[in-house]
Amino acid sequence: MPLGDLVQYVVTGLLVGGVYALMSIGLALIFGVMKVVNFAQGDFMMLGMYLTYFLAVGYGVDPLLGALLTIPPFFVLGLLVHRTLLVRVTGGGNPQRLMDAQLILTLGLSLIITNATTMILTPMPRGIQTAYATQAFAVGPILMNQARSYAFLMALVLAGLVYVFLTRTDVGKALRAAADEPEAAGYQGIDVRAMHGLAFGVGIALVAAAGGLLATYHPIEPTVAVNFIVLMFVAVVLGGLGSIPGAFAGGLVIGLVQSLTLLVLPFQLQNAGVFIAFLLVLYLRPQGLFGQRLRAV
Amino acid sequence: MLKVSGLSVAYGGLQALAGVSLEVAEGEFVAIVGPNGAGKSTLMKAVAGGVSLAAGSIEYRGQDIGGLPSHARARLGIAHVPEGRKVFPSLTVLENLEMGSYRPAARRRRADGLDTVFGLFPVLRERRDQLAGSLSGGEQQMLALGRGLMAQPDLLLLDEPSQGLGPRIVEGIFEAIAAIRKSHRVTILLVEQRVVEALELCDRGYVLETGRVVLGGDRETLLADPRVQHAYLGT
Ligand SMILES: Nc1ncnc2c1ncn2[C@@H]1O[C@H](COP(=O)(O)OP(=O)(O)O)[C@@H](O)[C@H]1O
Ligand SMILES: [Mg+2]
Repeated sequence: MPLGDLVQYVVTGLLVGGVYALMSIGLALIFGVMKVVNFAQGDFMMLGMYLTYFLAVGYGVDPLLGALLTIPPFFVLGLLVHRTLLVRVTGGGNPQRLMDAQLILTLGLSLIITNATTMILTPMPRGIQTAYATQAFAVGPILMNQARSYAFLMALVLAGLVYVFLTRTDVGKALRAAADEPEAAGYQGIDVRAMHGLAFGVGIALVAAAGGLLATYHPIEPTVAVNFIVLMFVAVVLGGLGSIPGAFAGGLVIGLVQSLTLLVLPFQLQNAGVFIAFLLVLYLRPQGLFGQRLRAV
Repeated sequence: MLKVSGLSVAYGGLQALAGVSLEVAEGEFVAIVGPNGAGKSTLMKAVAGGVSLAAGSIEYRGQDIGGLPSHARARLGIAHVPEGRKVFPSLTVLENLEMGSYRPAARRRRADGLDTVFGLFPVLRERRDQLAGSLSGGEQQMLALGRGLMAQPDLLLLDEPSQGLGPRIVEGIFEAIAAIRKSHRVTILLVEQRVVEALELCDRGYVLETGRVVLGGDRETLLADPRVQHAYLGT
């Protein structure tokens, strides 16, 4: 196989991986701070795709801008879901029973969102037509789909902003402190419950924005979550549970592996490569690619 | 400044504190000593808001704080340096100290706080960009103390700052506590297993056993008490 082909697959994989990375850091943030595995994460992504879609068809908003516009409402939605539901299954109590309750709650939420969306919007797949979705930038012999390139860049910028927020601001550091040692965080004057709300709000907003970016080149349907929630979980575990840079790297790796799998396996088996890579990493580096050192940053 | 009355705390069915009453006046240094499992840490947590009360009340500057969450108490000027240090391992040394001054009243004086803490513990300045989880036990204890000082507290709760440390480091920690006491007008409530050092540093003390205050008095009285001498001073 010529080298140019290989480079083409690598580039395509990384472009897609950027969006996976953005959706995965949302999940990692929620897990890192709240120790909650949010099974409804993919459904919030799906809702972000629909909001971007309706902004595009209803108001002519470009989906790249639409993806950004999903952030404020989904942040508020995340706060509300935390305030009304998740506070009941986090905080004090028997850890095993809390975990069971969290599982039931987020899985239940996922089912309700998927089915309500199917009922209201029908299972029909939809798509957003943009000029750039079918065009490509050519860098020498390498072609880069424009929609994916823009989505990649925006995912990178958003992830960078999250990183700056977590490492350069007091509230961001407090969020990490609350993830590390919630009891001691309280003693410093950090409201740990508010930090949970913030983590959930930001986590949901990020995955909704990633959904919006995805909608520039991926069909939108109520069941789209299942394909992506698995990828997000794999990315978060690959990166070392709860690590933000780890989840980001995990997302990129998954895009890369998916793409390179196409070199040897048919399209339908794209995710087989992801799971093989996943098992290999778990076997060789059970703490994930980033291990413990960068946890919760 | 602090008035604890009839305080009881239970973990599940197990009663850890049974009707504890004590007082700390503004500017005082009060020590609490007692054997393992006496409820000392539980008492400190109850004051800081880390456990909920089964009965009794906690008054701080005339305000009943027994129902406030820990973060609200921290904002009132109560800093708790908990047992086992509980630094934030994935944050750097500097970030840990910054979190100590998270409350708005301390945030404004962060630079002063850092000067004080780095003056007391120069090793923390050297390691400021290192992750706290990679520090040695003694350094983590210094960091926990420093984080408490960054809060510019009015009431400083110290739970076994000497725990698990070698004698040289312990000496340094106690010197630092004495220095803090001298240079800051801070009220200190200290829990210690090292009874001699604690009683020698303090103005007043209490002996806690199986969830009850069994003895209280000023330094000389406690050091001279035959029960204290027998049980804790090994004479
Ligand atoms: N989180 C907890 N859950 C259950 N029991 C606890 C907990 N913390 C302390 N205890 C129990 O409460 C009693 C007092 O403990 P503690 O306050 O830690 O004592 P001390 O600090 O004096 O050693 C002990 O019997 C201890 O086993
Ligand atoms: Mg103790």
